[in-house]
Amino acid sequence: MSEGGRADAGPGLRGWLEERTGVSLILDLAHKKTVPLHRHTIWYYLGGMTLFLFTIQVATGILLLLYYRSSSDEAFESIQFIMTKVPFGWLIRSIHSWSANLLVFVLFVHMFSVFFLKAYRRPRELTWVTGALLLFVMLAFGFSGYLLPWNTLAFFATQVGTEVAGSVPGMGRFMLRFLRGGEHVTGGTLTRFYGIHVAVLPALTTALLLLHLLLVQRHGMSRPPGQNEGRTMPFVPNFLLRDCIGWCVALGLLAALAALFPWELGTKADPFAPAPAGIRPEWYFGWMFQTLKLLPGHVLGIEGELIGIFAFGVGGLLFVLAPFLDRSQEKRRVSLGFTVAGAIVIAYMAVMTVLVYLPGKP
Amino acid sequence: MAAGPLLALLLLAEPVAAKDTTPRTDTSCVSCHGQIDAEMVGALANDVHFQKGLSCHDCHGGNPASGIDDPALAHDKKKGWTGKPSRLQVPGLCARCHADAAFMKRFNPHLRVDQLSEYRTSVHGKKNAEGDPRPAICVDCHGVHGIRAVSDPRSSVYPTNLAPTCARCHASADVMKPYNLATNQYESYRTSVHAKALHDKGDLSAPTCNDCHGSHGAVPPGVGAVANVCGSCHGREATLFRETEAKKKMDLSLCIQCMVCHDNHAVQPPKPEMLGVGPQSTCTGCHSPGDPEYQMAADMANAAATLRERLATAKDTLDRAERAGMEVSADRFALQEGQNKLVEVRVLTHSFDRERFLAAAGEGTAVADGGIAAGRRAFRELRNRRLGLGVSLLVILAVITGLYLKLRQIEKA
Repeated sequence: MSEGGRADAGPGLRGWLEERTGVSLILDLAHKKTVPLHRHTIWYYLGGMTLFLFTIQVATGILLLLYYRSSSDEAFESIQFIMTKVPFGWLIRSIHSWSANLLVFVLFVHMFSVFFLKAYRRPRELTWVTGALLLFVMLAFGFSGYLLPWNTLAFFATQVGTEVAGSVPGMGRFMLRFLRGGEHVTGGTLTRFYGIHVAVLPALTTALLLLHLLLVQRHGMSRPPGQNEGRTMPFVPNFLLRDCIGWCVALGLLAALAALFPWELGTKADPFAPAPAGIRPEWYFGWMFQTLKLLPGHVLGIEGELIGIFAFGVGGLLFVLAPFLDRSQEKRRVSLGFTVAGAIVIAYMAVMTVLVYLPGKP
Repeated sequence: MAAGPLLALLLLAEPVAAKDTTPRTDTSCVSCHGQIDAEMVGALANDVHFQKGLSCHDCHGGNPASGIDDPALAHDKKKGWTGKPSRLQVPGLCARCHADAAFMKRFNPHLRVDQLSEYRTSVHGKKNAEGDPRPAICVDCHGVHGIRAVSDPRSSVYPTNLAPTCARCHASADVMKPYNLATNQYESYRTSVHAKALHDKGDLSAPTCNDCHGSHGAVPPGVGAVANVCGSCHGREATLFRETEAKKKMDLSLCIQCMVCHDNHAVQPPKPEMLGVGPQSTCTGCHSPGDPEYQMAADMANAAATLRERLATAKDTLDRAERAGMEVSADRFALQEGQNKLVEVRVLTHSFDRERFLAAAGEGTAVADGGIAAGRRAFRELRNRRLGLGVSLLVILAVITGLYLKLRQIEKA
């Protein structure tokens, strides 16, 4: 800003900041931003909720870093120390674990709401792609974080999970060794997962999240097909205040879950012990786990597991490329085929997840 | 009285030559006796000797190559045919091979070759040597023509089958009558903790008859040997017992030792009530009120009961805290030391050392008290957490209310 601009910036702290950062540009944007009002407006809150839960993850994760030790000799004991000796350590760790699960759940709901409301259509294709990549990154956060307490369940679930990655044709062997840091799940794997969890994935998230938010601001909220015209609501303060109410409810829910159902620690992993019964991954991987279990050993001479992994890969690719496959978007139609396909995928994931937790289904 | 035929048998017979290990069915013995006694010949299929390539003539002599139509040639005494050996001859006949280390090594270098010499030290063997044909000989326990390897679970001397095998004679009033022996050993043994472990749980490390009495050298353990016999498995108890004997310069051998409290064949799982002065106490069998030992038993029982009760309370408190979601695994681990002390205290009963016993019980009780305190701390912490949650939820509710009112105010305007 020029010397002359100093007088325009106004007095006080705001003027001081304005002169140095041009903050009024952002505030103006925020005040001009509006949110469409229609019967599906409620789904718009899920993006903010996801961001709020991610912020909780960052804050509690940093606090856990102060005490956590990432070696197989000390990881379990350090979490035990956090849970029993560190003031409010139990609260921080339980909120981190519960919030991670809520985050993944809200993220899935957010993604499907965007899918069904056709918010991925032109010109928001890249917003969708960055969102889909963020979903994969969050799942990677969950997978890598699950091992960090180095307890029995996490150890064997990681063994199973990395074995699945290892059975990918061609690059499976490399992926298995890359993930495990060797042939087996060891302390080396823990160190590797820790590095991925606290450095690699946060860096990726920062880049993708900034791009995602920038694109959301650039294009504004999408109106679903059939809701072309209508009333709007100012983002600041009306939508933001509603967001804040939702965040407070989420915070209360997290506090209640952490206080009433503290996240279990289990028993320390023993690599030489046999795998206990009932090993299963986190619930959000359950539908894939169950699918692989139900597939026959061989289908038309090909290993059933390979077919399952191939199907997940193709499904994931189609999911990312959805905006480019939806032919109805130019005609601004609902695209019934996509809606039905999405509903089938949700039903399939729900049924498979329930099957994992049915009695007698370890 | 049977020394003549026995000597002739031993002189005539030589250890059989090394064989290939193919079962032999192409002998005149099998051909002919298979028609006369199919059951006996059929049993050979399961016989460990037959499976290793030995055949009828290796024990009975004769000419296995003779024709089926010439029994006299098959039973040729010049070829060493002896017919059916008498019960007095059998131990020596089996020992021709089983006492020959060089011969047995060809089949299994680990097999023992001292069975006959051990047998001669047993009551069975001594009676046999005196000319009494009734006591047990090799075939009574191992079988005759269908002898299975001892490691075969179908063998009559496999651990789970041995007690019933011994009981065939020792539970028979008719067989035992000439020797004036009791016949209730097997019945008593079946009620014991040892039999339950072996027969009901399939724990092959649990003792059966031969583990206390010996196999081939079976004798009742003498009164001075009981602690050694029991101590071969219960080492810590036996060591403490022996130390007491040495320290107090006592010889308790005449008291038949372990059996006084634990019985012999009907050994029951030790119960806490066995120690002390209650109705189920074994101490009061020898010690009366007024004896220093009587008071010592009462003190030891009280200390052990206190330890058990505190450990149970600690475990229950920590279990409830864990079910309530509290992390108490480190406290539960620490409580293991108390359980170890309880085991130590049970063993120390055999030291009859009051001070040592009470010190160990006191250490265990202190650990248990630590567990109880940890459990109570966990519940206090749980109450504080719930209180904190309530306050937090009230604050959050107030913020939500404020935000809502502000929103209404803005939207009304």
